[in-house]
Amino acid sequence: MASSLKALLVEDTAVDRMVLSFMLRKFHCEVILAKNGKEDVDMFLEGNKFDIVVCDKDMPIMTGPEAIKKIRAMGATDVKIVGVSADDNAMEAFMSAGADDFVPKPMRLEVLGPMIQEVINMKNN
Amino acid sequence: MAAPMLNQPNSLLANMFAAGLLDDQFQELQMLQEGSAPDFIVKVVTLFCEDGERIIGEIAKLLDKPCVDYDKVGGFVRQLKGSSASIGALRVKNSCIQFHQCCQEKSKDGCVNSLDSVRNDFYDLCSMFKLHASAGPAGAGLPKQ
Repeated sequence: MASSLKALLVEDTAVDRMVLSFMLRKFHCEVILAKNGKEDVDMFLEGNKFDIVVCDKDMPIMTGPEAIKKIRAMGATDVKIVGVSADDNAMEAFMSAGADDFVPKPMRLEVLGPMIQEVINMKNN
Repeated sequence: MAAPMLNQPNSLLANMFAAGLLDDQFQELQMLQEGSAPDFIVKVVTLFCEDGERIIGEIAKLLDKPCVDYDKVGGFVRQLKGSSASIGALRVKNSCIQFHQCCQEKSKDGCVNSLDSVRNDFYDLCSMFKLHASAGPAGAGLPKQ
């Protein structure tokens, strides 16, 4: 699957950052990393554009859902935002914050692949 | 004795799956490694063992204090739970789930006992990874120490 998507991965745990970024690169995404919700928001404040954001829930300084609310409030409504968490109660928090999708951890290639393809299709149309 | 040595790493991994140390997420990582990144699992497992050791140390320090900050302990447990799930470290993940429950109940005894369980499961797993790595060419791809 050829892709020139720019992905922002927001994840405070080093192992999860490594695994998720490797998965995204497997689908030829350019991956930018943020270690918490504040860094996530700062990326958008600095004018960066992303095709997809993959965001953890519980992080220091600012959580994923808090960051998503701020990003959507800034007008970044086109970017696909996927919440990921091992927390059973995370889906509601992400969706009510404005995420487009929620995936329980651990992420699988068979789940990530179709999401990436969907973003590629939308970008090409 | 070459043939048994070459077989040993695979049977070690099979034993780890059979013993409930690993689950199918580890197989997902093995699939990710195929092709372009032969050292991916080495890097992830090495990072898991190093970062996990750091986290366990931080939790131990927090539990040693007369007044335990259960939110901070819970935060570290959550991190270890997440990274365990990401690499398929099933037993460590399950121990972390129990530990998290004790944090929510603010039970010091429960947390101390849970830390022992997590520590034992974690070091069992990392020891097995090191054994696998030291088993020979077929074991290449996992950290040696």
